Amino acid sequence: MTALLEVAQVCRSFGSVWALREASFVVEPHTVTALIGPNGSGKTTLFNTVTGYLRPDAGRIRFDGHDVTRARPAALYRRGLSRTFQQARVFNQLTVLENLVVAGGFGWAQLFGRRVTRGDRDRADQLLAEFRLGDVADLYAAELSYGQRKLVEFAAVLMSTPRLVLLDEPTAGVNPVMIETMERHIRERHAAGMTFLIVEHDMNFVMRLCDPVVVLDQGREIFTGPPLAVRNNPAVLDAYLGA
Amino acid sequence: MRRFAGPARAVVFFTVLAALPELGLAHWVLNMLVFTLMFAVMSSAWNLPGGFAGYPSLGHVAFFGLGAYAEVLWFEHNPIQTGYEPFALLPLIGIGVAVVGLPVAALAMRTRADVFAIVTITLLFITQTLAFNLRDLTGGAQGASIPPAPFPAAGYEQPFYLVLLALLAFVMALTWACMRSKVGLSLAAVRADEDKAAGVGVHAQVVKLLAFGVSVGVTGMVGAVWAYYEGFIYPQFAVDPLITVAIVLMTFLGGRATLWGPVLGAFLLELAQQYLAYSLGGSQFYLIAYALVFLVVILLLPRGILPSTQDWLRKRRRRRAIDSASGELAFSGLAKGDQP
Repeated sequence: MTALLEVAQVCRSFGSVWALREASFVVEPHTVTALIGPNGSGKTTLFNTVTGYLRPDAGRIRFDGHDVTRARPAALYRRGLSRTFQQARVFNQLTVLENLVVAGGFGWAQLFGRRVTRGDRDRADQLLAEFRLGDVADLYAAELSYGQRKLVEFAAVLMSTPRLVLLDEPTAGVNPVMIETMERHIRERHAAGMTFLIVEHDMNFVMRLCDPVVVLDQGREIFTGPPLAVRNNPAVLDAYLGA
Repeated sequence: MRRFAGPARAVVFFTVLAALPELGLAHWVLNMLVFTLMFAVMSSAWNLPGGFAGYPSLGHVAFFGLGAYAEVLWFEHNPIQTGYEPFALLPLIGIGVAVVGLPVAALAMRTRADVFAIVTITLLFITQTLAFNLRDLTGGAQGASIPPAPFPAAGYEQPFYLVLLALLAFVMALTWACMRSKVGLSLAAVRADEDKAAGVGVHAQVVKLLAFGVSVGVTGMVGAVWAYYEGFIYPQFAVDPLITVAIVLMTFLGGRATLWGPVLGAFLLELAQQYLAYSLGGSQFYLIAYALVFLVVILLLPRGILPSTQDWLRKRRRRRAIDSASGELAFSGLAKGDQP
């Protein structure tokens, strides 16, 4: 099977500090792949590089068989690669409904069309109902709780029916009920054929949900395997515990 | 009914303004209204990139000057017969200025927020310096002139006033269409978080350039009308930083990213400035009074008059809804308690 995402020998530095050193891994289609590692191991830099927010100094990134090493975020999004951020980033001055509509990935022809069409509303309403956010559809995103904003951000990236969703710490700063909700939505989408790459520090969440797990340390991949194998791998233990 | 409230408000507003010259107002009043309309059009135009996209250009007056010089240069060599030819040239001037503005915007909009403001103010001073030094073209410090408009003295201001009113209707119609379209939605996303907007596939660069191009095109047209109205233009007035400051202040005062905010700001500030200048002009105290008006409004309504008022009304409506809901709850609780 061809990998959906291939990261090959990617390097990225900030001044004299190397955040990524020949990082390589693949994400197979229809998997929920975790990307874990201690703080400063380069997870978020890798996310930013894969999604076009940062240019790699060296290496290659392929998505769905195409070289996207220098692609911009908007182009990647239109190709079906979308992401959420570590700190929930929503458009505060837009309503919840508009947050979803603007992420719907409209083309040139629709740019001069109505701000929110009947079709947009139907699609967004359906997603908001699934996420139990229907009651807040017309509120400004700034008026929501942090957990709700996380859900809105997640729901918004689903508007364009992406092929690969990158979630950057989806459980960070949200309560256990919200974590359960998030997990349920990931499982449902995964069952429907969507692929996920998740950066996460909550190991219980990772062990329950993800397979395989990619471990990053000091900017390079040190292990890839099923969750149980990761738990017992000496290199991983060494990276986390410094043993 | 609420659906028709907006169009009805616009119809009343423009009908009243169109009828004003027929009331036999004094020349100085009409002159004041001509300048107020100029600022209302320019503030509304500035609002497209400055308010909706969050790119506060301080160089808009460079395009005002460009429009003014385009008008003067054309009619220096072409006779004016009926007096309306300079108005007929406005669409061409608008398109020409927009075309000049687009590459400038493509470069300047690589920066954001305060850096963008500094880059654009640099453009203003470059244009002013060019206007002073390209003497063969602009007449330099000696100025340049356009043949006077052959309108009767009794109604001299009226054609300028009506053309500016039409321009105001045009730019407000564009703003309204923008707000109701996905262009407006995209601009709002760009203003809120441009990086995130790019990450959800928004055509950020396209909508930014579109807003800037339309905005400077309209500003250029106002410059052309101003040049024709004044008859004689000098670089320090055609590319005057105070015009930029005024249109930014007016937009902030009325409320950025709203349809009526810049118009309200222009009517309040321009009329206040003129009134205070007439009342306190000799002592220059009018400038202090003018600043005080602005400071008081910004202190009490920091987001501008319209957004602050809308927020206040929204909160009040919500408070009332909560109060009435809790009242009904308490009432139903009492009623249940009464049951045996």
